[in-house]
Amino acid sequence: MIEFQGVSKWYGTLKVLKDISATVDKGTTIVLCGPSGSGKSTLVRTVNRLEPIQEGTITVAGADIYAKSVNVNTLRMGIGFVFQQFNLFPHLTVIDNVMLPLRRLHHQSRKEALPTALLMLERVGLADKAHALPADISGGQSQRVAIARSLILNPEVLILDEPTSALDPEMVSEVLKLLRQLSGEGMTMMCVTHEMGFAREVADRIWFLKNGELTFDAKPLVFFSPEAHPDVRGFLSAIQKNH
Amino acid sequence: MLEIIREYGLMLLVGEYPHGKLGGLALTLIISIVSLAVTFPCAVLIALARTGPLRTPKAIASGFVHSVRAVPLLMLIFWAYFALPIVIGFPIDATYTLILAIVVYQAAYLGEIIAAGIEGLPKGQSEAAKALGLGYVPTTFRVILPQAIFNVIPGIVNQLTTIIKESSLGSIIAVSELSYVMLQVNSNEVTKPLQIFGILAATYFILCFALSQATNWLERRIANRRTGRVVVEAVA
Repeated sequence: MIEFQGVSKWYGTLKVLKDISATVDKGTTIVLCGPSGSGKSTLVRTVNRLEPIQEGTITVAGADIYAKSVNVNTLRMGIGFVFQQFNLFPHLTVIDNVMLPLRRLHHQSRKEALPTALLMLERVGLADKAHALPADISGGQSQRVAIARSLILNPEVLILDEPTSALDPEMVSEVLKLLRQLSGEGMTMMCVTHEMGFAREVADRIWFLKNGELTFDAKPLVFFSPEAHPDVRGFLSAIQKNH
Repeated sequence: MLEIIREYGLMLLVGEYPHGKLGGLALTLIISIVSLAVTFPCAVLIALARTGPLRTPKAIASGFVHSVRAVPLLMLIFWAYFALPIVIGFPIDATYTLILAIVVYQAAYLGEIIAAGIEGLPKGQSEAAKALGLGYVPTTFRVILPQAIFNVIPGIVNQLTTIIKESSLGSIIAVSELSYVMLQVNSNEVTKPLQIFGILAATYFILCFALSQATNWLERRIANRRTGRVVVEAVA
């Protein structure tokens, strides 16, 4: 579904992604983890061209995302993206946030878009908040709305960049529950997270990045076993100390 | 003072209207509101050019802003009044000349205010719009501008205060706005400049003070809305 081949990226002279090659199979969930500054957010942001790359190729559903024939906005419509800070549009109600892509990209009228958007809000359990403003709902609810908005055009891939890092602990579970549900439904997902419980339970593979390198790519069973890369074991024990 | 108000009150409010041209306070208000209304779309365009991705519009807008900010408004009025008719070959009504000069002048300032509103938005807003697949136009008009303009409403109202004060320069080119009317009253009455210009000062003060209070009130309301959002984020 998504294939990275020799992907490198520089910020000025700083090489932040180093020759990354890996594959995300259709219907699988990949969890990306690693110390901060390891390039995991940058890597997921390259998939919808929020971050340009200087070397290598990325293909989504067989098509090179940098091919001339690829319209960047069409590419992005097929890839849902969820941010750490939710980035809901504060001047629009919850339902208007979710409807925006339908209205502006599929050119549907309010009336046409409304049932689809309400259905999506029901799916994330927030139909009752449809007419609230983002300022009036909790962080967990905001992130669920952001997920609903990113799914409204039925993308083939969902990318999540630390979706629970800005949330209070008691709100993390509601978002993870939703992600678990989506993963169970066969959505192809790439999720940057430090929630190792979630990774162990939901991920098909876990990618570990360090200093811009993909140093370890394994199934959860191997990732959490003593055979894992020493960097991974160091990282896991550091995380455990914090919890 | 009351005597003057009794005698010239109507003139102060509407000039010679309905027997002659509209003037006085009414004209001051009309000039100010029309100027702001015409300035606003120009300022939005300048702000978009200043903050947008294209180099040429950015350079043109920035050249315009810097040039205008480096000259006094009075000079723009002289240009519009004396030089422009020669360039275009026909005369323009002094009132329109004044409005034109104010629009050119204020577009630079209001443009900067709106540009600041655009740049003050969190980067995540335009990123989220991009990630959804929205292009420049829907991102700008559905996501960025509604928020940016809402946030700078106090600045816009504040510019209206400035425009009201600037419109008094119209008296130099015989636009019969409030200051010009009071100058005429002064030449009729000769011996009462203290009272006459006292009334003029009080009128501007009441108008502009009320507007600046409105600005404060708007600022507080907008801050409250923002805090509402910040609190939710902090809780999150």
